[in-house]
Amino acid sequence: MKTIRLLPLELGRLLQSRLTWLVMLLTVLGPAAGLFLYKPATAATMNSIYLANPAIAGGVVGGILFGLLAIFELDRARRSRMDVLTDAAVSPLCTALARLLALLAAAVLTVALTALLWLPVSAGLTGAVFDGTDYLLAYLLLMGAALPLGILAASCAYQFTRRADLSGVLLAVFAALSLTVWAGDWQLCWLNPCVWALSDDFSNFRVFCSVAWMRLTWLLALSGVWTLSWLCVRQHGKGALGSLARSARRAYRPAVALALLACSCAVHLAQPFIDHSNPDLTVMSFYEIPYAQDVTFLSRSAQVFPDTSAGTVTGRASYRLRNASGREQRISFGINPGYAVSHVRANGADVPFSVSDYQEYNEALLEVTVPAEEVVEVTMEYSGLPQESIPTMQGGKELSSEYLCLENAALSPRLLNVLPGENGYPAELEITLPANMTAVPFGSAQAEVVSQDESGARTWRWEDNGTGGILYAGDYVREDIEAGGMTIQFYYGRKHQAVMEEVGAVEAVRAVVDYCTRHYGMLSFGSGETLKLIQSRVAGGGYAADGASLLDEADFTAANLGDTGKGAAPGETFIHELVHQWWGLGNMFDAADPAGPWSAEGLTVYTTYRIVKELYGEAYAREHYVDQWQRAVDDYYLNFYVRHPEYLELLPESEQLSISNSLSGVRQYSEMPLKILRAEQLVGGEEAMDKILYSLFNRELDPMYPYLTYEEFLSACALTEEELNLE
Amino acid sequence: MSKIYRYECRRLLWNKFFVGLAAVLLLYGALVLHGATILGVAHTAPFSPWSFGDYLSRMLPLLWIGTLFLLTFFTSGRARRAAVLTDATPMPPRTYALARCAAALTGGLLLTLLCTGEAAVFYGRMFGWYGWGSLALPALATLLPPLIFAMGSGWLLGQLRPWLLYVWMAAPLLLAALPLPEALGLWNGSFFTTYPLSLGTLDPGFTLPVPVIAAQLLLLGLGAVLLMKTSKPAGRLR
Repeated sequence: MKTIRLLPLELGRLLQSRLTWLVMLLTVLGPAAGLFLYKPATAATMNSIYLANPAIAGGVVGGILFGLLAIFELDRARRSRMDVLTDAAVSPLCTALARLLALLAAAVLTVALTALLWLPVSAGLTGAVFDGTDYLLAYLLLMGAALPLGILAASCAYQFTRRADLSGVLLAVFAALSLTVWAGDWQLCWLNPCVWALSDDFSNFRVFCSVAWMRLTWLLALSGVWTLSWLCVRQHGKGALGSLARSARRAYRPAVALALLACSCAVHLAQPFIDHSNPDLTVMSFYEIPYAQDVTFLSRSAQVFPDTSAGTVTGRASYRLRNASGREQRISFGINPGYAVSHVRANGADVPFSVSDYQEYNEALLEVTVPAEEVVEVTMEYSGLPQESIPTMQGGKELSSEYLCLENAALSPRLLNVLPGENGYPAELEITLPANMTAVPFGSAQAEVVSQDESGARTWRWEDNGTGGILYAGDYVREDIEAGGMTIQFYYGRKHQAVMEEVGAVEAVRAVVDYCTRHYGMLSFGSGETLKLIQSRVAGGGYAADGASLLDEADFTAANLGDTGKGAAPGETFIHELVHQWWGLGNMFDAADPAGPWSAEGLTVYTTYRIVKELYGEAYAREHYVDQWQRAVDDYYLNFYVRHPEYLELLPESEQLSISNSLSGVRQYSEMPLKILRAEQLVGGEEAMDKILYSLFNRELDPMYPYLTYEEFLSACALTEEELNLE
Repeated sequence: MSKIYRYECRRLLWNKFFVGLAAVLLLYGALVLHGATILGVAHTAPFSPWSFGDYLSRMLPLLWIGTLFLLTFFTSGRARRAAVLTDATPMPPRTYALARCAAALTGGLLLTLLCTGEAAVFYGRMFGWYGWGSLALPALATLLPPLIFAMGSGWLLGQLRPWLLYVWMAAPLLLAALPLPEALGLWNGSFFTTYPLSLGTLDPGFTLPVPVIAAQLLLLGLGAVLLMKTSKPAGRLR
């Protein structure tokens, strides 16, 4: 009770201090550091740049500053030698608790102020994709939770050591550990959560849940340590141990501390988000499991029920197999490590099964013993939170009413050791989704609605052929576009509709597909009649397979579409990103050498120029593309390091790489298109170049090295590197 | 006087605040050198007078703020209360004020030396380049006028109202955001990135056009005149 009476007094005193207001002011300004100096979220989405980075930077600044303020405030009475008097009037334990609560209240006030002041800035910078829920969660979890942790850590240090300078050093070391050594460990980086991307067009609950889990773990741990340090608060003229012995006489106090520490350990160990896959990616032991002898596949089906509010999945799967061996067989499945498997039956009877502790490539091994009967139907149920493998790139298993992506073993258990039957691996899959979500199987299969319940939830069904399968579902807008002799089904997030309409996405898709199909040929992964273009949640890149291609949302943000290096206008940058379906996915390029100009960008920028020339005329294309490349290249050749490479070689490797990377943009986006343009003139004009590019696009691929190289390009043009020299 | 000067120097420079300021300055300097200066400006070498001038221009706001912070030692409420006692001493007020001003100037110079020293170490370590003599002119032209002006104007403002010093600290940040005419290009650093390109040669030697020289001399003169006013002891202007 005394603590509660002291709290308003302590808070009032705290808020009268100029230092408190200075700390609050600097914390409120902290998010600005995320816009210019400290950018841990590396993805190019608007929310990563203008929400995640400022919020994390604000948390780092606020956590450290409030920690220092806590040390200053706790040391105040001792510094002015008033502690003897105040301790005589009020128990030092009560004072310490009241000070902690007052500091926490000031932190809450600061976070609220920061969120309020930065709201118009974030809304203005992120534009059409601004989302209030993401904003609040970002400032609450990415920034806000860092402040109490800083206060608790600093208070612990002071209460143990009772020295302000030593506590400051301990806080600095603790913060430095989080910012450096622990920065890649999502559970340890208490100050700067491990967030690499926030989606603009879809939800981010998975990322926020993971950050909340980390914050909870640390909150419990630091609360436990703080309680222990609180027991060490000096009283009756005793030292740390003497005070501890006296304070611990009331047994519930150390018990609370130990319970908090135990809870923290339990929460740390029981994290549900990341699996324990073998970090050695060269090991693929699940693919080396021998096929079950004389067992072949007949068919399979699965009914999947995602719980979009909890982010979990429940499912039933059924597999029909022919067992011609006349004996029991052990069948292996890959299953997402977050799922619990139950009710495994064969022809209606329970059969033994086991799930391995060993995991690789985001799968655990489920082994089921099937009886010696000719036709066996194995059924099973599974449920849980789908786990992911890469802790530094979380968010891939986002599952909400706006978006989900269930890949292979996360959709339903994946058969590993059964040979295909006469029809391969026929599968019939169903998923029940909220009314606003559209199911999009990745591939040529088309999902159809087969039923709808009273709540509006719809069950989608599609047929597939394979042991795995990938399903995207989300609040998508679908545009059907006739182009290049096929139907393009273009799916993009509803939140992105304004941006897509502004850039004329449908017209751009039509122009690109028509042009590229006519000049270079059909995409190898198109199914012939249809091609699905699916915008995915930010994933670090796209991929393509039979009848479908994935577009990473990060390529279509307003910031990227405004990049004049890729196109003169946002609509032209959109064209650029689509051309990557031909140069980048349809024809792959090896990882670009930072020092060299050859990459997928050269041919993509050149093709964009050709399409723009066809759409808007030669004068426009020359002014906005060729002249711009020439200016950039002229500037590049005057660069000091280009003229004096010997100075570049003097620099440490990291600096060399950084400078090469800063120059590589010009080489890839301007120099190489200019070289291709020169090649076009040397080989006899646009028509001749188109024929060359057609032959390169449709060349026979070497499966060991399927990448298009500069040497192949030069050889197809019958030119040498020197002939394309621009200097 | 030298005793008072030494005492004031010790008071200003031998404390946690100055050490912290120097640490922040060095840290920011390292960021600028590794992030921007290393690339060179206007197609010149990172160690050219132009790139070095650009580095100093980027450091100038912090040096300005640091110099004004040093002045707050003499203009704060606490210092004004102590002035009742110091004014009663037999020391001539002009001499006392000059000694304090010299101490603040020494602090500002030390911070400047730290900045330039850091750049020199950077050039030596990264490029094995030690031709520091060629950097003296851009350093003098870029730093001396604004720092003398900061000292003079800061002293004047601090005597009027102590909080005005804190407002005045934002001046270089404001200048950086304003589209200044070419003659004032040294005040926001745009001079070093644009002027060499207009000379039409690669790696031009360091020169200053007449309007820029005039602007810097004006700033220096104004700063010196304001400094002369420091002969009036704190509190007398009110």
